[in-house]
Amino acid sequence: MSTTTTPPPGVSEQDLARLAEHWGERPSLRGWFSTVDHKKIGRRYLVTAGFFFVLAGLSALVMRTQLARPEAGVVSPQEYNQLFSMHGTAMIFLFATPMLFGFGNFLVPLMIGARDMAFPRLNAFGYWVFLFAGLFMWASLPFGAAPNNGWFAYVPLSGEQHNPGLHMDVYALGLLFLGISTTAASINFIVTALKLRAPGMSLNRVPLFVWAIVATAFMVIFALPALNVDNAMLFLDRRFGTHFFDPSGGGNVLLWQHLFWIFGHPDVYIIVMPALGIVSAVLPAFTRRGVVGYPLIVLSIVSIAIISFGVWVHHMFATGLPQLSYSFFSAASTIITIPSGIQIFAWLATMLLGRLVLRVPLLYVIGFVVTFVLGGFTGAMFALTAFDQQVTDSYFVVAHFHYVLIGGAVFPMLAGIYYWLPKITGRMYHERLGRWAFWLVFAGMHVTFFPMHLYGLFGMPRRVYTYRSEPGWDGWNLVSTVGSYLLAVGLLLVLVGVVHALRRGRPAPPDPWEGDSLEWATASPPEPYNFPVLPRVHSLHPAWDERTAESVRAGATADRILSDGRRTLVTSELDAHPERAVQMPESTLMPLVLAGALLVFFTSMLFAWYPVAAVAALAVAATIAVWLWPSRRPDEELGVSG
Amino acid sequence: MTTRPGPHARLTGGLLLWYGVLGGAVAWAVHVLAAWSLDELACAAGSERVAAVPLWQAVGLAVVIPGLFTVGSLLVAALVWRRTARAGEEDRAFGRSRMLAVVGVWANLLFLTIIVLGGVAVLVLPPCQR
Repeated sequence: MSTTTTPPPGVSEQDLARLAEHWGERPSLRGWFSTVDHKKIGRRYLVTAGFFFVLAGLSALVMRTQLARPEAGVVSPQEYNQLFSMHGTAMIFLFATPMLFGFGNFLVPLMIGARDMAFPRLNAFGYWVFLFAGLFMWASLPFGAAPNNGWFAYVPLSGEQHNPGLHMDVYALGLLFLGISTTAASINFIVTALKLRAPGMSLNRVPLFVWAIVATAFMVIFALPALNVDNAMLFLDRRFGTHFFDPSGGGNVLLWQHLFWIFGHPDVYIIVMPALGIVSAVLPAFTRRGVVGYPLIVLSIVSIAIISFGVWVHHMFATGLPQLSYSFFSAASTIITIPSGIQIFAWLATMLLGRLVLRVPLLYVIGFVVTFVLGGFTGAMFALTAFDQQVTDSYFVVAHFHYVLIGGAVFPMLAGIYYWLPKITGRMYHERLGRWAFWLVFAGMHVTFFPMHLYGLFGMPRRVYTYRSEPGWDGWNLVSTVGSYLLAVGLLLVLVGVVHALRRGRPAPPDPWEGDSLEWATASPPEPYNFPVLPRVHSLHPAWDERTAESVRAGATADRILSDGRRTLVTSELDAHPERAVQMPESTLMPLVLAGALLVFFTSMLFAWYPVAAVAALAVAATIAVWLWPSRRPDEELGVSG
Repeated sequence: MTTRPGPHARLTGGLLLWYGVLGGAVAWAVHVLAAWSLDELACAAGSERVAAVPLWQAVGLAVVIPGLFTVGSLLVAALVWRRTARAGEEDRAFGRSRMLAVVGVWANLLFLTIIVLGGVAVLVLPPCQR
């Protein structure tokens, strides 16, 4: 069901009917597979990433059960290696980034007042590739062929000599396959945010969530090639006997680590940054005021995006590089806490100066601040070379990055789920159920991961399958395991809450929270065309700004309704001056076909069916040619007023 | 109504503005890559000289030059900030430039601090000590 706003004056019934005709999609099986609607694709990202999160979470529960007692035998060492490798790989690559891209897909066009992403077919293609790559990797687990060398896949352990079988081929090919999706989505976010913003939305009026998504997209574009090159070289070494990482053939083992962490450290911020954007988006609605220090938060986003590329060597402080080299990376690793701190203080000031409305999304934001700050403290400790060398490869590190990633990404995601659930589904969630879930998740998280600091300091190494009974290890490990079950129950309650909202939630009004950004100016859930009249923005908080509403009422002219086709408005990059209207593509099966051909290609490469791979490569090329073949006249430009 | 700063309007847009906003970031990126790679490559080759220049001096140059470039960027950002002081809320271009100037001032201070902190080690640590 959909709760709609009253059509603005000046928009006729015919306009609405034409918009619905151009943007609506028939509810059929073909329509389901061929949709290019950013809202549907965003929802699919959220659901699919959530599914992979459940699988990765179950892997973690098995691991925690194995580690609850010393010398337990719940799983074999080989199974344990695969479980922790898939847990890390899936949480990082198949859950965190896609989940946040799901939020981005659903929200960015709505927040900037556009009708879709800049490249809707590329968007659909990105989703199908993500789905297939995720299934490609998870499907290896039941066959005992899953990656077994951690999510970092260090050589030489991941080389053919030490790690025969398909395990690390699945890893290398799976991530190469997935990288196509992430790159496509990032390009799409950048172009969408730069070219499709509503008139008047100059850079100083862009919502902080959109700033965060764009910065993240730029980081992906610069960071991911290093990982792709790394994986391509690993696959070539393993399958075809090249020597990129083989010192006996002139290669270099450290090359893997340098390339991996040139990607890997920015990736921490690739995961955390959009989540911080969610916090900045949620706070205004529950503090009844704009976030304090907008330019400083933008500074923080941009600075973190840049500095994160100059800290990778702090992952390699124990590899024996010259100490002078360490100093450059130690300085950057220490200083990056400043922009992170700026955001934290800006949010605290916002809460202090605002009028708090303590609903579930705000609870998760408060939980995020507490947990993320604790993770940040230990992060600053790691920036110091001497301390790092003492605790490297211990459970202290495991504790740190779970505080950062669960605190910095999962809590904001949960805040975002509860906050935007009414907009996404058109239904309100159950408040009491949400509060129970929050307290279980919060308590479970800290009971699980805080003790890891302790037994890490007591010397327990990470990645171990089991351990002998040691003073200080046994009891705290059991506490961690109990905490992990508590956390699992809390997350299960979140899922129950979502299902409950979908089935029994009361219908949501267009703006249940009195939010400040443009998505709240649409129906819940939004119509396929998002806005009957493309808005004109007059401030940083358009939904609180009467002039924006007035300009929609007064400006319902043909060039703002654009009902004569599947059209949206293109504006200038810096100041969002209207430039022209463009025709957007229709639904098509082409993205699914192309992603399917790629799946065949990567599967054939995995099993060394090279003739099949060659045919699949041809199919990929042919599909791209058909996709790009000009099928209609060039777009006729529509004159728009400035 | 907004009063535009006529003779210096170029400071509110164009390359000079972007130097003020991103100059420090670019300088720091050059500094970290140049200083790190000079140190790594020279030490790996077993030498403490780069083309007849002592390694610590070469690394020192990779600190000082980017540092000065960042100071210039900071000054430009501060100038833009002053020149856009009277930007009206409705004037999109000036409002945007003012926000970018604020971002530039703080970003350049941040990047200058990193360069200085990393550079201090050049005075303290022998280049190839492990």
